[in-house]
Amino acid sequence: MTAWQPGLPSKMNTERYFLRSLGASDATETYISWWDDEEVQLGLGNPPRGWGRAEAEGHIAKFDNRTRFHLGIFPNQTSVPIGFIAIFLGQAGCAKTNIVIGNKEYWGEGVVLEVRGRVLKFLFDGLQMHKVFGEVDGRNFASIYNYKAQGFTCEGVLREKLLAPDGTRHDQLSFGLLREEWRESQVVNEPATKPS
Amino acid sequence: MNATPADTSQARELLAQVLNISVDELEPDAAIDRTERWDSLAHLNLILALETHLGRPLDTTTMLEIESLTDIANLLAR
Repeated sequence: MTAWQPGLPSKMNTERYFLRSLGASDATETYISWWDDEEVQLGLGNPPRGWGRAEAEGHIAKFDNRTRFHLGIFPNQTSVPIGFIAIFLGQAGCAKTNIVIGNKEYWGEGVVLEVRGRVLKFLFDGLQMHKVFGEVDGRNFASIYNYKAQGFTCEGVLREKLLAPDGTRHDQLSFGLLREEWRESQVVNEPATKPS
Repeated sequence: MNATPADTSQARELLAQVLNISVDELEPDAAIDRTERWDSLAHLNLILALETHLGRPLDTTTMLEIESLTDIANLLAR
């Protein structure tokens, strides 16, 4: 993240995308629709929220750009986000991330690996975080692939923790990546270029 | 458990199908970290295809083990 100042909107770039802090004006119909989309919400392990504009604006307002970031993902040269990444800086140098690609035309385009790769650099190199982790629905096989492809380790299975919209129970998986593991992977490999 | 040749053939067919390539194009050491077409959507389709083939959902532990053609063959041989 270039010249990040705590409390101020943030921006960072990848090869194909840029990320910037979302504000109240970003609570568009498109953004709101992601929160009511069953497939999209599977990525967060949540059922559809049924939010309106007020709920969406309230959600965005919770992110302070100090310890909580809500960054829209925008293809370069565009002003319409295709998803977002949320970052939560926790105690003991541990950070949690969630990525949602709301625009399904971008599924399978490698967005998650490219965007999270940039965020990992920010968290590990920039903020010297010790660990980054994320939680995923055990039936979200695409997301699980992305964690594994990026070197995360499945550290735990919370059995039948999630209740899917169809009434079935799903396991929740916790994936973690340590700073040293990430640094070693940066030495061994070029940044991930495989599509995700 | 090692896969039998028949199981490997079945695994190759299944993986080639989800990667949308011919069986002949599939490298014998195909794996999640070295096969270009094995991306997130392919992985999703692979797990679903395995579940359809086996007629049951994969438990989480088994699903997490699927990272290579060999893993698929071993699963089908169980």
